Amino acid sequence: MNATVKLVPVQAAYDDLLNRSLSKISCDLARLIYLASTRDYNTGTYHHDGLAARFRPDVAGKALEIAHRQIFYQLSAYSLEELLAQLQTYLDCSHESAADVLRTWQKLEPYRIAIPVEVNPAVARLFLSNVRLALAIWRFRQEQAPKHP
Amino acid sequence: MIGIPTALLLGSILLLLLLFVAMRGSGNARKLSSGSDLPLLDDQAALDPCPPEFVARIFSSEDWKFVAKAKSPQLENLFRRERKLVALLWVHQTSTAIRRIMREHTQATRQSHDLHFATETKLVLLYAELMLLCGMLFLAIQSAGPQRVRGLAVYADALSQRLAQAQLDFQTVTVGPKLHSAGSS
Repeated sequence: MNATVKLVPVQAAYDDLLNRSLSKISCDLARLIYLASTRDYNTGTYHHDGLAARFRPDVAGKALEIAHRQIFYQLSAYSLEELLAQLQTYLDCSHESAADVLRTWQKLEPYRIAIPVEVNPAVARLFLSNVRLALAIWRFRQEQAPKHP
Repeated sequence: MIGIPTALLLGSILLLLLLFVAMRGSGNARKLSSGSDLPLLDDQAALDPCPPEFVARIFSSEDWKFVAKAKSPQLENLFRRERKLVALLWVHQTSTAIRRIMREHTQATRQSHDLHFATETKLVLLYAELMLLCGMLFLAIQSAGPQRVRGLAVYADALSQRLAQAQLDFQTVTVGPKLHSAGSS
């Protein structure tokens, strides 16, 4: 009985998160970064004021955690070509210069902190590896592309 | 024609050799994957299992074909290095999980009075086959690259799941009734 009472609000919070926030984000890569940004660096818990107000903070946190893991596994299963398309969409939607973002991503590798806790290490390594490769391919393509005055 | 004792001796030597390769392979995989940028796995820790579709993805040639289209030796080298590390990490993770399952099984058998010789033999053989496969995978990934051993990796993954399931079934049969009787007493 208790389990049912607890599970239903998490599902409702998850659906709410999906419909109100995640569906408005342009691509899975941006969704992953958004969800990772709702996680506290020190405690590893997730916070979302709107969701916590509609449900409870712990329920909102659980829904965010589930969504984070789900989007991470989804993105990690993409082929390099698909991930490159995700990166392209992310860069197109970003208000920063694509070259600057890429340079920062290659130097600082901020996408490393986008990995949820307790995911399979081989999948986590595959994700890091694929992002690194996608960045290298994107950069290579930019270097090969004819320069316009 | 060789006699039975000679055949047995040769078989034993071959088995020992293969087990040595398997152990060495696993050890080296551990060493190599420690160069990877994620924390090494603790033998005791239960892992979130690697979903089968990811095994196929790690060892798939689709990404290699995509990278090769760019005709850049630099990108090709980066891809080979990166994918090799991921594949070796997976081998290490799989062999760690297999060892943990067998350790748990050994502990469970000590408390069980209803052991079946045939089932136990099957499990030990499955374990030996898996360890051997891990050793072979390690060598093959190092020499030929992950894309050439996709079939073997998928097979090893399916076998490791069978081993995990067999141990789970064993636990359900042996520990389950104990819990039930403890609950009813």
